[in-house]
Amino acid sequence: MNSKKFIFISALILIVVLSIIVIVNESKPLDNIRNSLYTQSVISEKPSGGNFTLTAADGKHSLNEYQGKLVLLYFGYTYCPDICPTDLGNLSMTYHNLSQAEKDQIQIIFVTVDPERDTAARMLEYTNYFDANMVGLTGSKKEIAQVAKQYGAVYAKAEQHNQAKQNANYSVDHSAFTYLIDQQGQLQTQLAHASSPKQISQLIQMYLSKKQISNQ
Amino acid sequence: MKKAISALTLGLLTSLSSFQVMANQASNVTVSDPYAREVPPGAHASASFMTLNNRSDHAIKLVQADSTVAAAVELHTHTNDNGMMRMRQVQFFTIPANGQSQLKPGGNHIMLIKPHKPLKAGQTVSLQLQFEDGSTKQVDMPVKSVMQNMGKMNHDMQHHH
Repeated sequence: MNSKKFIFISALILIVVLSIIVIVNESKPLDNIRNSLYTQSVISEKPSGGNFTLTAADGKHSLNEYQGKLVLLYFGYTYCPDICPTDLGNLSMTYHNLSQAEKDQIQIIFVTVDPERDTAARMLEYTNYFDANMVGLTGSKKEIAQVAKQYGAVYAKAEQHNQAKQNANYSVDHSAFTYLIDQQGQLQTQLAHASSPKQISQLIQMYLSKKQISNQ
Repeated sequence: MKKAISALTLGLLTSLSSFQVMANQASNVTVSDPYAREVPPGAHASASFMTLNNRSDHAIKLVQADSTVAAAVELHTHTNDNGMMRMRQVQFFTIPANGQSQLKPGGNHIMLIKPHKPLKAGQTVSLQLQFEDGSTKQVDMPVKSVMQNMGKMNHDMQHHH
């Protein structure tokens, strides 16, 4: 009886130790990727950025129109259940806490990576919700792909696990960086997904004060 | 291969531990800070977040969630794959023995797909959580806006200036 118990307990311990080893080994590479992402604010192979023209509910808009302002550019889609509302919510909170003078110097732009479903009207309704003077832009698949490429944003329709469910409810995998474009239209840096309003605010303040210094 | 081993060990662990008599799993799980997210207009899905605490000596799996507020309720996770956020349905969330599992933005969450009515801040919604042993727990939670912390943030910023 006792020896049975002993075998049982040793087997249990062995299994626990084995699973811990397996779990630790598996989580290492993931952690490395995560750490490198969060510590890295400037990407190593820097995308060129640059001007683009896309469509809002009130017509075409170009990035060039916002020269003189600090632009925060985000790629996502309106059916996005979690990632986009988190980032756009944080951007909105940041915006609300700026002074009017600071608000006048920034522009938040939301570009859809799901032009199939995100019409200009839909983008307007969605961006209005965040109440941060946000511009929502859409375009043809080709136009969107070009802008995303310029900024290094990546996206792909998620494969659907259930063939029967293949319908309009697909989700889109996408990178979730907020790109910071300076007053001269130059892509400067990117903020990681889920950057806090405090982090975003600090970066904005930094670039707004840079401008003041260079103007003096 | 590693996955196969870990699945195997997990399976063994579960079957071994089931020799022992356990209280029902729902009674060993407490839920803190649950909330569902207000849906922007036209959005077809919302998410529910919470912290699941397991006060038993055994890992507990949350295997299903149900609610009358949405057409479908699914367990989902996000992986950050070199900056690409990938969302996938999963079969269960594991709450470690004497530990907790956090459902939070950007990670594990309970998806409320196609809410019957738009979820608005101030409402309360109910979710029924089901665990591996079939036991269930009802959780009532407030609906909150993504911009809900605005007041607190204002306060902090005033100190800053």
